[in-house]
Amino acid sequence: MKQYGIYINQNRCTGCFACVVACKDWHDVPAGPASWIRVKTVEKGRYPDLFVAFLPVLCNHCLKPACVSVCPADALTKRPEDGIVTVDGEKCLGKEVCGLCLDACPYDAPQFGPEEDVVMQKCDLCLDRWAEGKKPICVSSCPMQALDAGPLDELRSKYGDCGEAEGFQYEEALAPSITFTPKKDIRNLVPCRVRVTPEIGSKKV
Amino acid sequence: MANTGIEAERIVRTLCSSHCGGACEMKVHVRGNRIVRIEADDKDGSPRMCARGHAYRQRVYAPDRLLYPLKRTGERGSGAFARVSWDEALETVAAAMKRVRVDHGNAAILHFCSMCDPHTLHHVGAFHRLLCQFGGYTAPWGYISCEGAAFSAGVTYGARRRFVQTDRGPEEYLDSRLIIMWSWNPATTELGSNIPLSLARAKERGARIVCVDPRYTASAAVFADRWVPIRPGTDAAALIAMAFVVVHESLQDQAFIDAHTVGFEPYREYLLGRKDGVVKTPEWAAAISGVPAGTIAALAREFARSKPAILATSIAAGRTAYGEQYHRAAAALEAITGNVSLQNWQHAPRRTRYQPHIPSPPNPVEAQAPPRRNSLPFRGASVNSSARVNVSLFADAILKGRAGGYPADYKFLWLSNTNYLNQLGEINKACEAFRKLDFVLVTEQFMTASARFADVVLPVCTFLERSDLHAPLEGGEFGVLGKAVEPLGESRSQLDICKALAPKLGIHDYGDNSDEAWIRDMLGKLSEEVGLPDYEQLKEQGVFRVGFDAPGTVPGKDGANQVIKPLRTPSGKVEIHSEIIAGMGIPSIPTLPQHIESWEGPSDPLAGKYPLQLISPHFKRRAHSQFDNLPWLRELQTQALAMNAVDAVARGIRHGDAVRVFNDRGEVRIPAEVTERIMPGVVALPQGAWFDPDEKGIDRGGSANVLTKNVTSPAGAFVSGTALVEVEKAVS
Repeated sequence: MKQYGIYINQNRCTGCFACVVACKDWHDVPAGPASWIRVKTVEKGRYPDLFVAFLPVLCNHCLKPACVSVCPADALTKRPEDGIVTVDGEKCLGKEVCGLCLDACPYDAPQFGPEEDVVMQKCDLCLDRWAEGKKPICVSSCPMQALDAGPLDELRSKYGDCGEAEGFQYEEALAPSITFTPKKDIRNLVPCRVRVTPEIGSKKV
Repeated sequence: MANTGIEAERIVRTLCSSHCGGACEMKVHVRGNRIVRIEADDKDGSPRMCARGHAYRQRVYAPDRLLYPLKRTGERGSGAFARVSWDEALETVAAAMKRVRVDHGNAAILHFCSMCDPHTLHHVGAFHRLLCQFGGYTAPWGYISCEGAAFSAGVTYGARRRFVQTDRGPEEYLDSRLIIMWSWNPATTELGSNIPLSLARAKERGARIVCVDPRYTASAAVFADRWVPIRPGTDAAALIAMAFVVVHESLQDQAFIDAHTVGFEPYREYLLGRKDGVVKTPEWAAAISGVPAGTIAALAREFARSKPAILATSIAAGRTAYGEQYHRAAAALEAITGNVSLQNWQHAPRRTRYQPHIPSPPNPVEAQAPPRRNSLPFRGASVNSSARVNVSLFADAILKGRAGGYPADYKFLWLSNTNYLNQLGEINKACEAFRKLDFVLVTEQFMTASARFADVVLPVCTFLERSDLHAPLEGGEFGVLGKAVEPLGESRSQLDICKALAPKLGIHDYGDNSDEAWIRDMLGKLSEEVGLPDYEQLKEQGVFRVGFDAPGTVPGKDGANQVIKPLRTPSGKVEIHSEIIAGMGIPSIPTLPQHIESWEGPSDPLAGKYPLQLISPHFKRRAHSQFDNLPWLRELQTQALAMNAVDAVARGIRHGDAVRVFNDRGEVRIPAEVTERIMPGVVALPQGAWFDPDEKGIDRGGSANVLTKNVTSPAGAFVSGTALVEVEKAVS
């Protein structure tokens, strides 16, 4: 099975939010609680010795996705041809009734709009764009060319195999399909503040 | 025909027109007459647009778009309007303009067109033609963004336009060993250009980057090896002390100084304190700027010894009480270390003799007026005319008029492509000034603070609803901005508004060329000089890049300073001591770069009452005041006052608390963002939030210019970076 994944050069990310808004525009996601991609800002240190890193956060299309395992309605599918995890809104039981995926995913990939009884939506790595030979909108829109996507083995051979980044926790049990060039805090400063933007789009930090 | 609901999607290419400093290529996906998506251009090397560009669909279809002409029904500023027909709106405007012309003369008409939609057809030229044909008007002078930089570039290098950081090519950064980013935050201000990407690549190639800034900005986070916090308004002192270290330790590039500069000796005398008895040591500057003396000395040595090195001085620190001195001091430091590319500062020849513009007769109001004392020789008689009013001083000029030394009494104000009231100093004073006028005309897309003060608001469409031509002054990019959809509601383009107003004003030679006719005409003239694709092809491909020789070369690189023409300064050289300034005879603009103790700086006695220095930086989710109302962008960042934890704790303020930010000019109520990422003693309120006063006049929107002062620097700079405030926890 081919597994598609994501590469992030964290040293390049300026936290500009172009990916966040480009994603909302492309997929017609209104402003509000649901945001398929978000930006995490990690602030460390005390004035004037500071460290700040930005990190785009999206579905990692895990090799062993917890969301798929816990979904009681078979609404979630890990596509055999590319490993992309998709949701079928028709089958989803909704956040109020169920919401199991929300608790299961440590990366906040399951996203819910503001309506009551709303069903889950999530990043599908822009399946529609791959079909037209284009990379996902977050990759194509990044002014810093900090992102890439494609078959994970190709990404790893091109950029290296690194599951570590500031603000990211690699979950062995899930095997997220992501590799990084991480930004390193060599001074190991004390954590100060972490925020995820849009703030309302996240349940966990 | 039945609407199947599925119409073919077509792509319209255009360039974003949002006054951010960029003009990113856009692919607008359109179905029928509706924009469905906006995609960044995917050409190699094209800058990819920012979040604001991606949100533009929300701007076009915003529920608060102004789609019909409005006429004031309540008190001016109350926001009470009634919808009227175009005919009634234009008749009302024309009657008011004619009345003012008869009663007070044409100079009583003030007009300002800023840089929202800054291309060719729907920009200042369209209004200028109309107003000159009407018999003239009072035009502004000065760049709100960068008059300090423009002045310094003019007197020091004889450069007319090449003074903004973006004018230098991104390739310059790639070969640099040291880049000092002085109050420059391109990760926020130059989104959608390739500058941030070039800085990242320079860093990846081993350049050392130092950020000198009161804030630990996104740029400091991403690019800087070292962050040097500095008190606002004290930059000149730090740069002068760096020059002292260079001279004191004989690190200067004497060969460059001898060949290419004038005024080194008197500057050395100033640095050594020979006249004023003050030696400009790092210790002297440390006491002023808050930057430790050792840091200043080390940075000076590093800058003198690193070749090539770039001192990337942003225009932000120039928007201060004596902002031109910061730019002059930076220019002097570059010159004495030889870390300057003179080609960059050449009076760059225009790319084409023909510059596309809407032609206009001269402005009769300026015909007899002598030049201003602080005018720059190569700017031209019109811009230098003393009949003009500094763009930052409309409020003062309206309130004081002739009695206050202004060339006229002002009665009629027309604002286009700008939210002037929100974006210039001292909003409450501007409100008072706007109330005093006979008539205010605003062409707008939204009910901004400025539009609220209008007597008539004319709804203008966005750049996606009409065509335009993009042609460079100096670069090599030509483009046709395609019209993606028809103007919404009854909104019209700027040019169409002028065309409709002309006959009402009794002007019959304004012309009724369509956008396309203008563009074809201009392209035809350009094509006589430059090989360009024809109109259809250019429209199809959006942007066409002409391979002009790149003007920029890396300072200190072999040969970079070898073959140069004389600069357009009186001496033909880099003027550390400026002849042009000497000729002005204005004591507050010294002939040598100097640190001048600033009003409302940290040493002003007023700091006893208002101890915090306010700065108003750019915000990622806005371009000045544009985009503040779009939900996709609003959810990204909260308008808040950034303050250091030390200052917050001293005032019992916790992160997220509502605070009062105030001085004698007004008050803003806004949440506090308590952060380590700003220097103690400095608070930052992002500029551009929409002024939203409550019944007590307290601004709940968080507009920084409630607190800034309505004056300029001696050279004419907007002084948004000089303001003292106090902050308290808000009780209600």
